[in-house]
Amino acid sequence: MISNSTVVRTVPQQDLMHELRFFIRGAIKKEKCSSLDLTKTALTLLKCLPASRTAIFEYFCKVFDTAALNYINGIETEIKTGNLPPVSESDEIVVSEIHGVLTSLITENAAAWAPTISAWSLELLGEISTKYSGRAHISTNLNETLQLWMACRATRTLVDINTKCLSSLIHSDTEACINALLDTSVKHSPNFDWVVAHVGSCFPNTVITRVLSCGLKDFYLHKSYEQGCSSAKLVSVVGILGHLAGSHVQDIRNAILEMFSWSLRETFEDTDATRLQKKATVPYILQLMYLSSTLLAAICTDTKDILNVEIIGRLYHFIEDWCKYFGTPEALEVRNETKVRLESLYLKLFQELVTTLILRCETGAVQIVTLLLNCILVEKVRGSEDMKNEIIEKSKEILQNVLLEVDEYIRHNNPVNIMISFSKESREIEVMLLDPRSVVCETAARLITFLGHGNPAVLIKSATFLLQNATTPDQLALLVTIITNELIDKTAAPYSEKGGHFSVVLEQLLSIYVQKLSETDEEDPTLTQLWDNLFWEKSGQIVLLNSNIVTKALQSNLASITSLFAEDAHHMHIVSDILDTMEIPMPNDSYNPPIEVIFNITQSTVNYFFACCRDDGTSKKIKGFGKVEKMLKRICIYSKAAKVFALRELLERSLFRGDTVLFGAKGVAQHNEAEKSLVKQNKKINKTIPLTKHSSVFNGGVIGRGKRKSTCSDELPEDVAAMNTYQLINALKACCALPEENKFCDISLDSMTLLSLLLVQFVSPDVMYNGLPWPEEEFSKVTIERDLFIRRMFANTPLLWDLLSLVAVYRPAICYCSVLLRALTATLVHQWKSMGEQSKDDDSENYKNLMETTIKVIDIMALGQLLPPPLSSIRDVIPHLKCYEIVAILRESVWTYMRDHIPSPALFTCDSNGIHWRDPILARPPEVYTNTLRIIMQRNIKTLAHLYHQMFINIPKNE
Amino acid sequence: MSTSSEVNLKQTLRKIEYPLCAKEALNKVVELVCSRITSIKHMDLALDLMSEFIFYEVDRRGNKRSQGLTPLLELQLIEILFEYFNSIPNESIRNTVFLSLFSGTTAAMRLGILSKLVSVGMGIPSQTILMMASVWMQQLGSFSQNSCKLAESLVQDYFYFSPESTERLKSLPSMCPQFTANFMTAISENYFSMSRREVSCPPKNLLEILKYWISNNYSLCIAAQQRPAVLPPGAIAMEPTTPIAGLLKWCILAPIYKQDINLYSELHLALLNSILEIPRTNPPKAIYAQHLAHSINPILAYVNDLKNKQELKLDKILNEDALQLSLDRYAQAVQVAHSVNAIYGHVDDLFNQLKQLPFNKLLSIVISTYNRNKVIVL
Repeated sequence: MISNSTVVRTVPQQDLMHELRFFIRGAIKKEKCSSLDLTKTALTLLKCLPASRTAIFEYFCKVFDTAALNYINGIETEIKTGNLPPVSESDEIVVSEIHGVLTSLITENAAAWAPTISAWSLELLGEISTKYSGRAHISTNLNETLQLWMACRATRTLVDINTKCLSSLIHSDTEACINALLDTSVKHSPNFDWVVAHVGSCFPNTVITRVLSCGLKDFYLHKSYEQGCSSAKLVSVVGILGHLAGSHVQDIRNAILEMFSWSLRETFEDTDATRLQKKATVPYILQLMYLSSTLLAAICTDTKDILNVEIIGRLYHFIEDWCKYFGTPEALEVRNETKVRLESLYLKLFQELVTTLILRCETGAVQIVTLLLNCILVEKVRGSEDMKNEIIEKSKEILQNVLLEVDEYIRHNNPVNIMISFSKESREIEVMLLDPRSVVCETAARLITFLGHGNPAVLIKSATFLLQNATTPDQLALLVTIITNELIDKTAAPYSEKGGHFSVVLEQLLSIYVQKLSETDEEDPTLTQLWDNLFWEKSGQIVLLNSNIVTKALQSNLASITSLFAEDAHHMHIVSDILDTMEIPMPNDSYNPPIEVIFNITQSTVNYFFACCRDDGTSKKIKGFGKVEKMLKRICIYSKAAKVFALRELLERSLFRGDTVLFGAKGVAQHNEAEKSLVKQNKKINKTIPLTKHSSVFNGGVIGRGKRKSTCSDELPEDVAAMNTYQLINALKACCALPEENKFCDISLDSMTLLSLLLVQFVSPDVMYNGLPWPEEEFSKVTIERDLFIRRMFANTPLLWDLLSLVAVYRPAICYCSVLLRALTATLVHQWKSMGEQSKDDDSENYKNLMETTIKVIDIMALGQLLPPPLSSIRDVIPHLKCYEIVAILRESVWTYMRDHIPSPALFTCDSNGIHWRDPILARPPEVYTNTLRIIMQRNIKTLAHLYHQMFINIPKNE
Repeated sequence: MSTSSEVNLKQTLRKIEYPLCAKEALNKVVELVCSRITSIKHMDLALDLMSEFIFYEVDRRGNKRSQGLTPLLELQLIEILFEYFNSIPNESIRNTVFLSLFSGTTAAMRLGILSKLVSVGMGIPSQTILMMASVWMQQLGSFSQNSCKLAESLVQDYFYFSPESTERLKSLPSMCPQFTANFMTAISENYFSMSRREVSCPPKNLLEILKYWISNNYSLCIAAQQRPAVLPPGAIAMEPTTPIAGLLKWCILAPIYKQDINLYSELHLALLNSILEIPRTNPPKAIYAQHLAHSINPILAYVNDLKNKQELKLDKILNEDALQLSLDRYAQAVQVAHSVNAIYGHVDDLFNQLKQLPFNKLLSIVISTYNRNKVIVL
């Protein structure tokens, strides 16, 4: 059917000759005539005189060529002048005229016309593309070319016509169509590629499959590798597929895979040619991939779907055939012994090709590596043992080559595609790191170091992952190997500042960990692993760790570690191990921890101390105390602030908070209930007692805290409390330690003074009358309330006695506790006074306590050399005395002496060893102070004779 | 004509641009070919002129040109030839020149141009050209390879590429019945032919037009035999072959090649009618017995195929519709042809060969009747 718009005139037959003549004259330009008329004539002839068709097509060639030329000229003019000259109208009309008629010919009678027109249009397109290839556009980019020509009416029409032909033929005569396409492509490559690309995208499936098979048919015919590779047809196959890969990757992949699996199927019906083709398939595919990275990418994305160990086992049998494709024709004729050598050479070539391809993968490289590893680790294959061994051997070889090559590239800072793939798939590599099989995890480690060379972030990420998930020492060792690998640039900017890669790893881990901690409450193995690593490092046996990376890393992350230490109960022992081993701050070390770290450590060590106290008696607890001591000692020597802080913390917590119980404190009723306001209480009462007119606020409820509850029974066993107390004293001593141990004294007196002052601060509730001097005994009436408070503190917190003793030992620090002693003495005087006539035989609890306390006070004062002999021996005397006698002694001897001899450091002299002391001979009190005591003792001389002798008669004399 | 004048002639011609020089060369060739005294030397010169100036096959040194004519030049040459032949009034001269241009060793080479020329002659149409072509086919033999190729090319042009022009071809027999007859003969060889690798069937529009031609003019088939070719004196005219045997073969074989369109029956009828119209001649010359026997082998092969492939029982094979229809047509054709005494050659052989065919009632009657009559004649 010819539409009305076309112009094939129904010509009377006699005019046909006339038309023919007209056409010939016009076509050879003998006569001038309008090209439109000429075209119409030509189309008429095409319909009525088919014999003239080749000539007519030749004429059409000229028409299209002219139209294309005009178009190109137009564009060139535009480039030069900026103005696009008007498109030749006659060209447009003529071309559309021809288009209409040819299209109708194709639709009406495809079988006859389509092959002819298709061939003609392809050839013409090829010629036009080649002819104008260097013009109007400089770029060789296929897409630009495609756009250029698709904008041209003539070529667009031709492509359209061709597409129509193909679509009408594609089912009946595919092979021929594609062959024609490829042949033209070969002839006019690369200028023709845009046509193939266009056609290809119209019929992707067919074109891809056919193009592949045409290529294979060409490939297997070539005798030698070089010949096959340089074959124009192959190049053009690659070009076409490369273009189509842009939008039809999946189709291409499927087509190639189909071809691959086809090549593996052997049937009896195969002809020799098919058999050869099947053998050539794999080298062919490899070659294609070698020539085109897009094809490579298409195949490599998911090799795990294509290849597995089993298939490799099947492929094994083809290797020999494939290798032949890497030979040269001459090689096939040489003698035997050389042949063997050559064959191994081909195998080498083949391997090299495979290696090169692997190196070029931009995706899926990890899968390939995994495949190789699987092959290396293969345990069973269907076939002989030799075959298995060879597979393993070759896989190793290839893997080794790949790794070496990558190494080489990396070292020279050359980019290599496989690295792109690795960095994309670093997660998979990380998982491989945890693989128990050494070859797998070592390979993964190498890959990670490769990645880390260029991109430390990946290294950090993987190392973090590894550290987080490592369960065996081997994995930790692997981590160290990765971090310390020579390929890793340790001076890279952000990492060297932060103290090395490992510290960044640690930082990340800790932040993850802290996050996790806030959500769950599970134990994390990381720190344990960290500890292991640190332990190795400290052991000095591992060469890799000589640079102290772990220490450095820890140092840079101390802030977070220490804060973790302070908060986290699960890992305190581990962290304390770590911190202790690190010996922070180290003497003579360049590393100066920031103040924040110092405080963190101090705080957390104190915490840890109390945690240890609370701990059930395990070896961890004992070790813990030792560590606490060491750490406190180090930190307090290093920083004065830390010392003050540590002492204060230790004291405060042991004296006031819940921890007091640990040291034997009793009856510390925790008043958990917030104090209720009177108004609130009244409101409660309101409900039951109506307010009268003359209402006054009266308390209808419990007064105060109500009746005292019996002391809570949460006291610790005495030995535990004693142990804790002992450890606390040790800890305090550690805080006060001198940097260098003195032969005679290991405690800094200044620190002891500090401790003493702190005690006063904590125990005495008043700031008034805290001075050293003792006033008149009468004055104690003013301070009685405070004194009683202090006394109660001592009664409730036995620890205080120990602390006081400690202070007393390190003279003259006890002087600063004067107020405490004074308060205690004052209360004692009062109590003894109120005891009345109770005799020493009274064995009431009250009496015992009183006596005990008195002895303690006197003891401490004696220990601190505040009471010189014989006053220092009062403790032994008083148990035998009556109450009033005791009162008298306390008043007349102790108090008066103290009042007149202000307990100040001035009383002490410092000897050459730095020890402060009072010479008992020189400091012997005048008789005024001892008379009362002596008289009372004389009165009780029956029982106190030996003491009397000691105290008053047998007195050492200063020679 | 001396050697120098030959050289001069060529020099002169060489000064003229190609397609135009062909015209001049043609004039010379006519002179040379049709002169009363023909010498070998003249013929050689004529051949030289043809290949250099007309067909552009060799250059001035006689070397073969690497590139032939472009389609456009070819078309111009065809126009020149067309005009030229139409301008020669004498049919004998026309045929002489035509035969010398397109026969002999160069026939196959120039077949392309010849085909296009004849095709144009069919399309315009031009009785002159068709007549010459008819004589050419006749002289080369309508079953000859060149004739078949020509016929195929024409069929391609008008029945594949330009199927709508068949309407115009209906008048071909009236324009030039001799050509039509020879054309049909050549065509009949191109289809259902055992000599080709694959048996091909004629396109439907071709069948239609053949049926139309024959059924409208029963004497068309023997047209070529009724008008002797006009040839130069001394030439031996070849007896033309009628298309009857060839086309009958189509009708006979069509059923077993599953071509059971009605057209074959109609064509068969037209052919039978045509045979009836054949005037009696002595000896008969319309149908060659051996040509008629061509259908026997395909039928036997078909039966064998059936035996091998389907393993049917023999009686089932024999009763197959297609086979029986084919044999019926065969018997009818033989009977009618024999009855009008149109078969020449070894008729006995034909009947003997027919006996190999599977059983068919009509055929057996025809054969037995023949045998009986033969006995009577004896």
